[in-house]
This record gives sequence, structure tokens and C-alpha cells, in this order.
Amino acid sequence: MGDLKPKDKKGIGNLDDPGLPFNYSEREYGTVEIDETRARFQWVSEVAYKNVHRIVSRGYDTTELMEEGYGMTDVLFVDFQARIPSVEEDQMLNYVMIMALEDGLSAPAAMSRLVAQSKTFLTQACGASIHAFGHAYGAYSAFGNRLLDELKTGNENGQDMNAIAQDIVDNNLDDESLGVSNLMLKDPAAKRMIARAEKLGVAGEYITLMKLIVEKAQAASDEPVDIDMLGAMGSVMMDLGFTAEATWAILAVTRSFAAGAHFIEEIERSEYRKLGQVLTPKEMYDGEADRPVPPLAEREANSKPALSTNLDEWAKAEEELKSVWGSGASIHEEIEDPSKKTGIKSVGKKI
Amino acid sequence: MPRTPDIERKTSISYKTEEKTVLRGYDLSELAEEGYSFTDAMFVMFQNRIPTQEEEKMLRYEMGVFLEHSMSPSAAGAIGVSVGRPNLTSAIAASISTFGGVHGPGAAHGYMMKKYLRRAHEEGKTVEEIAKVLVDDYMDNGTPVMGMGQPQHTDSDPRAEPIHLKQEELGLKGVYLRLQRALEKYFHARRKAEGRRYVGVNVVGAGNTALCDIGFAPNAAWCIGSVCRGFSCAAHALYNMKRGRAWAASKGEPMVQMLDLSMIKYVGPEDRKVPKQSERQKYAKDQKKEGEYKKWVI
Repeated sequence: MGDLKPKDKKGIGNLDDPGLPFNYSEREYGTVEIDETRARFQWVSEVAYKNVHRIVSRGYDTTELMEEGYGMTDVLFVDFQARIPSVEEDQMLNYVMIMALEDGLSAPAAMSRLVAQSKTFLTQACGASIHAFGHAYGAYSAFGNRLLDELKTGNENGQDMNAIAQDIVDNNLDDESLGVSNLMLKDPAAKRMIARAEKLGVAGEYITLMKLIVEKAQAASDEPVDIDMLGAMGSVMMDLGFTAEATWAILAVTRSFAAGAHFIEEIERSEYRKLGQVLTPKEMYDGEADRPVPPLAEREANSKPALSTNLDEWAKAEEELKSVWGSGASIHEEIEDPSKKTGIKSVGKKI
Repeated sequence: MPRTPDIERKTSISYKTEEKTVLRGYDLSELAEEGYSFTDAMFVMFQNRIPTQEEEKMLRYEMGVFLEHSMSPSAAGAIGVSVGRPNLTSAIAASISTFGGVHGPGAAHGYMMKKYLRRAHEEGKTVEEIAKVLVDDYMDNGTPVMGMGQPQHTDSDPRAEPIHLKQEELGLKGVYLRLQRALEKYFHARRKAEGRRYVGVNVVGAGNTALCDIGFAPNAAWCIGSVCRGFSCAAHALYNMKRGRAWAASKGEPMVQMLDLSMIKYVGPEDRKVPKQSERQKYAKDQKKEGEYKKWVI
């Protein structure tokens, strides 16, 4: 061992097949030499650095920031925007984060509690709760980037805000990331947030556009709709200068603090769940009726190959598989270049 | 659209109706309108109370100073995940999940303090006396004293002592700070007497002490610290997603990348021939009998 020759590597499976575009057995072993022609690897960051004695974010020593009376929310502006916010901006961010902190027993809390039941670290439950912020529950990325793109395109095309808002509503009235829905018809919290931003003097073009979108959506919708928390928090955060992605991240993490509280309460008030403990009543099942397992010897007679050899067969098989819930055949995803975007444009849409 | 809860539970944390969201009895919107800070809301959520101004200032300081820590396991985790270009949230979740037994503000330090304070109470010892017992218990057994030492800030964590001072300045010198200060004093004295180098208090030792003195239970404190770091890790992941190349292995970059092949150093078994299936049984039995493989088992 350890002194292999190419002849030792002949005759392994298909690796000598002439169809291979290379000679597999001739391929070298061993790790790649250290590349001395380029600079060695370093953690490159424009966000922060530290040495033995200091932690510096965007040029500011973080201990000095705190000693000077700045707080956690100020550091969010420093980290994400490389700037010190005005007092009003900091007040507004605090307001938004309070509203983002708790949302009852919705997905982040539920996920945290389910993880808690398995008897694991609190941090794993908090981390799991972050995953709740997909493109429906936490659609800040889609929401914000739409506003950003439409404003840019509209401005380039000489459209005024009214026209930009109308275009957005015309193309996205039923989209879950519009920021307008029937969710907050009785709860004034979203509208109060916008009013607070205006009162503090931090409202800008995103809030202006959002208010117009609400107007246009109300005119176009068959049912009562109004600004929801996505629309309020998203537009306020963008007027505070946060990008759509930063907004997404900050508000998902904010909710994760509450997920920690839900984890703790779950431990305090409930019991851990053991493997095999949880039953699923048959009343919840609507799949195939109970049936005997065919003898292995009769496998050929009972098996059904998936192979399609022409497009008609393939199309038929695709349709047939859609009746199998859980197969994934009914889900259609539009893939964008993953090196350009954080995530895909639409996830989980039914065909 | 169904608006039923995602999970059925009795909870004393919050409820949400079509009209409002209520946290521990307070309408969230009213809290924000009244001018309370996010850190105030953390007291409401974890402790069911409005804090004093000094307590709120202490938490704001603690979270602010802990939020960013440049390249730590949490940021490295976020960056590592981000190079595969999943959703941003995956990178953040990974970063928060790095907070385990040795990284960051684990609940263990808080529980250690509570254990020894309880013992002092039961045994009629002073806080200072029990601090010495604590240090001796750990050092006599060769176990690191929690809250002391930091692998990067080797001669004193830049956040830690200032947190102690801030706690004192704000008049929040409670029983936990008394214990921690006494612990540090005896810890330093014993190490000096043993001719060992100076090891300062770290941000867990100082930060958890402050959080305990302002009423947060160890797990709540752990949550506050670890989740708070998620903010900055999101920034690090975003920076890499927006400014860096996916995969982190490009040959076109002027600097060797994190996942460049040349970064791999292999120290495992030597290259060897894959046994034929026909030889498999004998090969496997011989290999097991020889036992050399055991030194590689992890």
C-alpha cells in the first residue's frame, strides 16, 4: 500500500471504458502543492477585524462605541451600512425590532419548540427558527428588491411614483410579498409604524411608494386589503438605508430572540419527545389503502419502472407522478443564476 | 386563509389576534409607540417586567459590544455556508448554531455562578469565600474556570473588563458581580503563585455576570448573546455573497481562496488499491485482524 502504479488501477468497474474522455488509471494521487504564486489565504472582510486587543467594525472600536453611549441597534447600522445613525433612525429601528420580536405561535416559535422537544441546545432551536423566514413568511428580500428594481427602472424610464406603484400592483397583486393583504384590517400596528416613521422624519421614497402601492391595491382588489407588517417593516427598513437582504437578516434574527423564549418555555412546561413516541392517527392519512407486500420472488411482476424512453412517455409519467403527494412532481421552481442571487426567485409554486 | 397557530400550546409569552399582538400583557405596538427600546422589550419577554433605565443601558451595552466579533467560529460558519449560495437565512442559522460548549456565551457560566451562590447560602459562606472554593474546585481538577481566557484576545478580552466597569458605573453591582470579581481576584492570585501567565476574564465571564445581575436566567442570557451575534454574521455572509465569488475556490482570484485545492493537507492513511469484490471478504477480515485501521477511527 502507498506505492501504487497505474497498472494497479486497471480493471476497476467502468473506469477503463474507452468512452471515458480520460485515462483514469493514470490520474495522480496526492494533494495539490501549496500555491506559492499567489498570496496565501486570508479572511478578507470589509465588515470587521480584530486583533489581540481590539474589535473594530467598519473602523469603529466596538468597545469604544459602547463606552460612548451607543447601543446594539447603532451597531447594526455600523455593521450593515458603515455609518452612525441619527437618533431618530436609531429610535425607528428600535420600534421596528420591537414589532418584529414576537408573533405568537407562528412558524419560528413552532419550529423552535419542535426542536426543543428533541432535547438539544437552545442555539440549535434559535437557528432553526431562522429557517422560518422563507420567501413567504419572511419575504423581505423579494419585497425590497422589487421596490428597488421598480424604482430604478421607473426612474430610468421617466415614470412618476404613481405609475411605478401601479405597475407593481398590476403585476403582483396576489403575490405574498406585495406588503398589502387582508392580514391587518383590524390591527393598526402597521399603519402606526408608517406614521411613526413620518413623525420621526425618517420616511423616504420607499414609504412614499408603499403608500401608493396600498392605494392602488385597494382599488384593484375585490376584497378589503391594507398595508401589512411586511409592507410596513420592509419599507421603513429600506428608508433607514438597509438593503433588502440586510432587512431580511435583521428581522429574522430579531424574531429568533423570541424563539429562544419559546424554547425555554417549551422545556419548562412540556416534556421531551422520544424516538417513536409520536403517533400519526389513521384519520390523518389519505394515501393508498393498506396492502400486502408482494413476495420478493414476484418482484418483477409487481415492479413498475420509471424509465421513459421518449418524450410522450416522459410527459405522461410526469403527470402521473403529480398524483403522488410528497413526490415533488407538483412543485415547480424557477431557477435563477445562483451566483448572482441569494436564493431562487420562486419556491414551491404549484404547476 | 387559515390563521390557526402552527402548533397548539398553552403559552404565557404572547398571544396574537386580528387586532393586536400582545407580549406578556403589553400590546407590542403600544410598547413601541411609548418609546421603549428593543432592549426594554427583551426584559418584558424574558422577565415579564419593564426594566430600570440602568438595566436597559446595561443590556444595550452588552448586546452592542457582543454583536460583532470579526472572525470567530460563528462568522466562519456563516461565511462557509454562504459560499454554496443557499438562502441567506441558512448562513445565519448556521452561525447561531455554532454556539456550543466552547464558543460564546453558553448558559454554563451562569449555572456555575448560581450553583456556587446556592452553596454559599446553604453552607453559610460569604460570596468571597465561595469564590475561592469555586476556583479551587476547578483548578485542583485541571478544569478551565468558565469565563476566563479567550484564545484570540490572549492578554485580556477588550470587551470584558469594560463590561464590569460599566456594570459598576450603572450601580448594578449585584451578587453575581461580587462573585465574579472575587473569583477573578483569587484566580489571578493562584495562577501568579503557581508561576503561570496572566489569563483575563472573557466576555462570557463579564457579560453573563451582568446579564445575571439584571435578572436574565442563564438560558435567556445564552439566547441573547448567541442570537445577537447572528446579526453580524449575517453581515459577513452578505459581504461574501455580494462581493465574493461563490465556491471560494476560484483560480482567478489574486489570493488563494479558502477552498482552493492547495489548502488541503491530508494526514490520513496512504493511497491504496481498492480491493476487488472477489477478494473482499478475505481483505476485510485481514484488515480487521491487523487492526491498523483502529488508529484512524474517530
